[in-house]
Amino acid sequence: MLLTSLRAEPSEFAARTGWEAKPEGLCRGEICVPAPGAIGDDGTLDVEVIAERLRMPLVHDAEHGLWALGPGASGPALPCATAADPVLEDRDGNPFRLSSLRGRKVLRRAWASW
Amino acid sequence: MWQRLHAELEDRGLTVVTVALDIDPADARPFIDAAEPTHPSLVDTAHVTDQLFGFTNVPMAVWIDESGTIVRPAEHASVQRSPLRDMEVPEGLPDRLDRMFREVRKLGDQSEEYRAAIIDWVEHGPASPYALTPDEVTARSGGCSEEQARAAACFELGQHLWRTIGEEAAIPWWKEAHALYPENWTYKRQAWTLATTADDAAAPDLIQEAGEVYGTSWLDDVLRLGGGERYYPEVQL
Repeated sequence: MLLTSLRAEPSEFAARTGWEAKPEGLCRGEICVPAPGAIGDDGTLDVEVIAERLRMPLVHDAEHGLWALGPGASGPALPCATAADPVLEDRDGNPFRLSSLRGRKVLRRAWASW
Repeated sequence: MWQRLHAELEDRGLTVVTVALDIDPADARPFIDAAEPTHPSLVDTAHVTDQLFGFTNVPMAVWIDESGTIVRPAEHASVQRSPLRDMEVPEGLPDRLDRMFREVRKLGDQSEEYRAAIIDWVEHGPASPYALTPDEVTARSGGCSEEQARAAACFELGQHLWRTIGEEAAIPWWKEAHALYPENWTYKRQAWTLATTADDAAAPDLIQEAGEVYGTSWLDDVLRLGGGERYYPEVQL
């Protein structure tokens, strides 16, 4: 997840990382990790606290004033079997979410022009 | 071929969703238009799905059941034997190109079995031997080391800089991603094609001799891996 500051909106954070901020902590599927101090009084997330708690690398590009938050390290590549639900554009430019296909089996295939 | 599979199985409850991992959507567009898909055909210009689903090369796929649970994690996904696999290598090619084609001919092929497994899952759902439990899915998804996690962050920084500043700003971060996670072909092939495709080229450069910029290339890395037969890890069906 790319950041220009170390505070993040919960909805954007969930869409990009799969981790949702809930009263019990940070949750992905059935897994919840307590994260005291992660949610600020204004409702935004403290990315440094979360990075440490979820063992996510936070890489800083000082020259361009950017940070990138990587996925949680030292666990399975998929922490749980619940499919992430990022918003991507379809060929007509409309936003598409995998969750719009609930009730159907889905084969999600990655390809590239390269 | 995926459009055909979608059309064949749509009435039986399967939807194929294709996602192009292309930083520049214009590169993916001609292929999408040619396929005339009736299924959702997405472009992931930020490579968001790479780490969320564990895609480290293309083509790869995950299977997701009716409740949104992954029942097969990311693995090589082909339902038709590639014609490149059986191509006669013409005489007189430049040495590097000749060697590349010879490695491509060695690529593994499980397309027939994989296609049959999809149909079995569509027919039998969770009773299919190819549908895995959540524990099997997470176990098979492999690990995410600190180096791999850091590589994902570096690759993302490079993408943002490529888009906002230019390729020169992206290259150092992409090199770092490649060094941290050399097994991730998506990070490498996306960067290499941008380095070796001319601005006015009609199609992306597939040979990807990116040694001058990145110190390595598709052929060099495939040979280092032990040859084309190891390029696509075997799908455990």
